[in-house]
Amino acid sequence: MITRRDLLKLSGLTLSVMLMPEGYRILKAQEVPRRYAPNLWINLSRDNYLTVLVNKSEMGQGVYTGLAMLVAEELDFPWERVRVRPAPAGRAYVDPKMGIQLTGGSTSVRNMYETLRLAGASMREMLIASASKRLKVPADRISAESGYLLVEGKRYAYGEFVDLASKEQIPAKPRLKEPKEFIYIGRSVPRIDAPEKVDGKAVFGIDTFEEGMVYAIVERPPYFGAKAFKVDSTEAKRVPEVVDVFPISTGVAICGESFWACQKARRSLKIEWSESFVKGWEDKDLENYFLQKLRERGEVVRVKGSPQRVFESSPVKVEETYIQPYLYHATMEPMACLAWVKKDECIVYAPTQSQTWVLETAKRVSGLPEGRIKVITTYLGGGFGRKANVEFVAEALEISKRLSRPVKLIYTREDDIRSGYYRPYSATHIKVSADQRGNINSLSFKIAVQPLLGGRASVEGVENTHYNIPNLYVEKVDVELPISVWFWRSVGSTHNAFSLETILDRIAYQTKQDPGELRLKLLRDNPVAYKVVQTAMERSGWGKRKNLGIAYHYSFGSHACHVAEVELDAKSGQVKVKRVVAVIDVGPVVVHPDLIRSQVEGSVVMGLSMALKEKVSFRGGGVENSNFGSYGLLTMDETPEIEVHILTSNRQRGGVGEPGLPPTAPAVANALLWGYGIRVNRLPMTPEYIKSLL
Amino acid sequence: MVKDFELRINGRVYRVRAFEDEPLLWVIRERLRLTGTKFGCGIGVCGACTLLVGRQAVRSCLLPVKDAVGKEITTIEGLPSNHPLKRAWIELQVPQCGYCQPGQIMEAYALLLENPRPTREQIVQRLSSHLCRCGTYNRIVRAVEKAVGGRT
Repeated sequence: MITRRDLLKLSGLTLSVMLMPEGYRILKAQEVPRRYAPNLWINLSRDNYLTVLVNKSEMGQGVYTGLAMLVAEELDFPWERVRVRPAPAGRAYVDPKMGIQLTGGSTSVRNMYETLRLAGASMREMLIASASKRLKVPADRISAESGYLLVEGKRYAYGEFVDLASKEQIPAKPRLKEPKEFIYIGRSVPRIDAPEKVDGKAVFGIDTFEEGMVYAIVERPPYFGAKAFKVDSTEAKRVPEVVDVFPISTGVAICGESFWACQKARRSLKIEWSESFVKGWEDKDLENYFLQKLRERGEVVRVKGSPQRVFESSPVKVEETYIQPYLYHATMEPMACLAWVKKDECIVYAPTQSQTWVLETAKRVSGLPEGRIKVITTYLGGGFGRKANVEFVAEALEISKRLSRPVKLIYTREDDIRSGYYRPYSATHIKVSADQRGNINSLSFKIAVQPLLGGRASVEGVENTHYNIPNLYVEKVDVELPISVWFWRSVGSTHNAFSLETILDRIAYQTKQDPGELRLKLLRDNPVAYKVVQTAMERSGWGKRKNLGIAYHYSFGSHACHVAEVELDAKSGQVKVKRVVAVIDVGPVVVHPDLIRSQVEGSVVMGLSMALKEKVSFRGGGVENSNFGSYGLLTMDETPEIEVHILTSNRQRGGVGEPGLPPTAPAVANALLWGYGIRVNRLPMTPEYIKSLL
Repeated sequence: MVKDFELRINGRVYRVRAFEDEPLLWVIRERLRLTGTKFGCGIGVCGACTLLVGRQAVRSCLLPVKDAVGKEITTIEGLPSNHPLKRAWIELQVPQCGYCQPGQIMEAYALLLENPRPTREQIVQRLSSHLCRCGTYNRIVRAVEKAVGGRT
């Protein structure tokens, strides 16, 4: 764990970058005033290693690689001598645009792009300036190349100049490279985290230890909204290695010298739970509740033109009600955290997407000031939004405080599936109309859903659609339930892309229009989106192959369009996706093509999993699914060939981690419409459901 | 209930105190701190905890430690870094979050011990019992194919 003090002591040249009102400012470590908050530290050592302290969490998206390569690019530094370490938590490391330390919203490279390049460029110029003075050679006759300064035919390792360079002024305006000078940006350098992940040496949250550590698991209520009011732990406490059993704010904690002791003790624990609003609810009750909410008056988010009047008077109309379930993140590493609340210090090892919220939680639970709290970010065994929530961190802290010992809390898979924080359930009603020639002239969208981001997520992707539809109406009804909801990779776009993109095909189907051409028509004013759709059509053999479905969606700054090729076994209702062509436009720069490709491949797999298999089911007010046997994920034999095409355009930088997901499910559903005449209005498209539509 | 056991892991002998019915996974991971073997589901469904007992791929979350005594156990840490599978995994940049990969690699390793030249179908069939939420499946297949090709 690196502290600010350690950074100041580091040998060599250490720079920090800060976001100031007038723009970025770069400072030498020793010059950073305490009250300022630099966003980044980089260090070049005497033995010529570059260390980048990354303020973003590595959860598989390749952020350690993507961010470090931006520094190495401008510094002209050999990739194999670059090291990355997770930054501590603290004001010093907040995302300059978000104001908190959070990895999410497909923002890391987008927000850190300039900062990191400036840091690398400043370092390079300081090295050259110091070499120029020592060797008495004009700076313009010194060039930098792969960790060496080339001076009149001689090569000097950067490391030889780091001490001198530390005395140089920070350049006021370091020169950034022109794209044609790039050595890394646009090239797929090897992932920095791959070797340790392949060797089993990467440390995830669940892999952390402290001397004297106790294990803990938490038994939570069998249905949402309940509390333990009577606990009989007599039997449980007799299990060898059990340390203690006691109620905490979320359930009953079982603590032991081993994980297995906790598991054994749990079986003999007797708990009585309080009543709850949703106790006894089944899937059908949930559906009825949301459909009832959908009929209530909500908040009108956007009105353009006269959608109601135009709809009534149009010759072509389509209406549909969609039901989409709660979804579970299913990170392969379940929630796990090691916390140690001492009298005057608190240490937290967490696989977290949100260091700021971990820090806030640790302050609240321990009662200690920020300066006494150390947060160590481990690798995340999957995140997808789930690990930005910190309830598991709070539990570990609470238990540790009570026991005055380090506590490693582990969720079993059953605990994890039933812990809540799902992608919200939604009921959506959409009305679309078209004129005589099939031009879409109105769209009315109403959704009942538990709100995220103050409700903005409820309507994202619809309220801000790039489709040119002259009359638009968007309304949302905020639903309140004790079932907790949270960000799930691509958030509101997961459900809205599905309803919006499938209703478009319904109207195309009814008016006998090509659904690809229909989208091109709706996007004719947006050349970037237009090209994305056009490319997806070209690359997929659109118009030539059978059983294709298309869907387009804009989210997190990027445009994406997928074409899915499906095959339906009418006898069993089994949908097989044979191929997905995915096109994404990420804006002006492709930093690392292979990372983009792998993110889009992964988004398509997760999107297909959601389309075909995933649903959190309710029984007795609790979650019926218990493990991967009853919450299926897409497997290798169900994974189609996935082809990714990356486009660029001259506009703001777009995100990469999420935008590839939303078009996946609607592309599959649309292929079923055109190939087999099936009208899907709910997910997942399980064989039983599809059979019921045949 | 809590007893002493002697285990042979990656060619080394370990002495460890554990419950008789404690799954090998927890003994290896938490008591011996060989954390490359991962906990994913605890019911043998996801494959994250896969290691080798003898030449067989085993879901260590289901194997009581007492049944592993006297057997040769190999974990991800016991497979050399220059093994063709590990090299192919890096060459094809397979891992994203990386959590399921040790299990995937150990399953592929067991497959190759049984059948040094598996077809694509055999690879897919075998590894379809392993879950990867990041969706690295297609790269895993290519990596195993690459390792097979590279063994000649």
